[in-house]
Amino acid sequence: MTTSRPAEFGDEKLVTLAQKGQSEAFEVLVERYKQKAYRIAFDFTRDREEAKDLSQEAFLRAFTHLKGFDLRAGFYTWFYRILVNLCLDYRRRRGRIAWEPFDEKTHMDGGQSEMAGAISSPDREAMSGEISRRVGEALQALSAKQRTAFILKNHQGLSIHEIAKMMQSAEGTVKTHIHRAVTTLRQRLAELV
Amino acid sequence: MVHHNDSLREACKEFEEDLVLYYYGECGAAERGRVEKHLERCASCQQFLADLQRLLPLTIKPDEPPQLFWQSYSKEMQRKLAPREQKGPWWRNLAALLRPWPVSALATALVLILALTLTFGKRVWRTQDLPPEEEGVMEILPMAENLEFFKAMDLLDSLELLEAGAGLENGSA
Repeated sequence: MTTSRPAEFGDEKLVTLAQKGQSEAFEVLVERYKQKAYRIAFDFTRDREEAKDLSQEAFLRAFTHLKGFDLRAGFYTWFYRILVNLCLDYRRRRGRIAWEPFDEKTHMDGGQSEMAGAISSPDREAMSGEISRRVGEALQALSAKQRTAFILKNHQGLSIHEIAKMMQSAEGTVKTHIHRAVTTLRQRLAELV
Repeated sequence: MVHHNDSLREACKEFEEDLVLYYYGECGAAERGRVEKHLERCASCQQFLADLQRLLPLTIKPDEPPQLFWQSYSKEMQRKLAPREQKGPWWRNLAALLRPWPVSALATALVLILALTLTFGKRVWRTQDLPPEEEGVMEILPMAENLEFFKAMDLLDSLELLEAGAGLENGSA
């Protein structure tokens, strides 16, 4: 007779067990989504410790309100709405977020690495820093909703449909936010590179 | 290669939003065909799309923390969840007390007991409180009180008659 391990359970079963008080089931959900949650929080905060704190706070809130959660909605979508709202609250409290210069070890993809290889290291760092600063200023120029929709689409690769559910907006509204965000960023960043 | 803002070519307005959706792969089949057909002959829209492909990846600053970070993350979460879980048994005990069927059964029993007490209890208490010989006295006492009342009423009637008589005399005088 085979017994299933909690790590093999689907989200719905884990939530049901957690609602009955089995926190080990919720810990499996944490392990399953912690990296995604962290990356979303990092996109908003640009700070590792803040991103960790925000994503953990989102998990704690989800655990606290789990009994009121309707399984039909899907844990993933419900949790990310909590996380995104926390991130938006964070931005409202913090105001402007200082944009840290790129760390060249984490930034480059293949094509850009080739380009960077042809330039001296100090110049490359200066250029990366300048790009990073300009990108930060450009993102700051967006409205909160434009920035949220853009980050969820551009950074996280979520579909328009998923973003609309998370932001509790119509899909047409989300498309408009993304369109305006992209055209603003293009105008502000066009002179780079 | 540097691009200047003043030479930034605008895309065709009616295609601009579709081009953004096309870049992200969010176009339906019909829209995709329409955009691709337009791109074949529009240099401005081609430039617009090329700018998106060049610039938008720059906005992503990936962060890949080391494994130690994730181990610490998991331990912290377990620690933070523990106090909330310890409250669980206390809640569960309270929830057990408040489960629907015992509550309604208990309430029904209490109502029945109260009804029975009110129905039979008064007679039982009274007969228990008073010995039989005194019960008769208790029944007579209210009658005695009523008699005094009626006597008082008779006196009042007399007073009214006297007053009426006095009024007549004053009127005739």
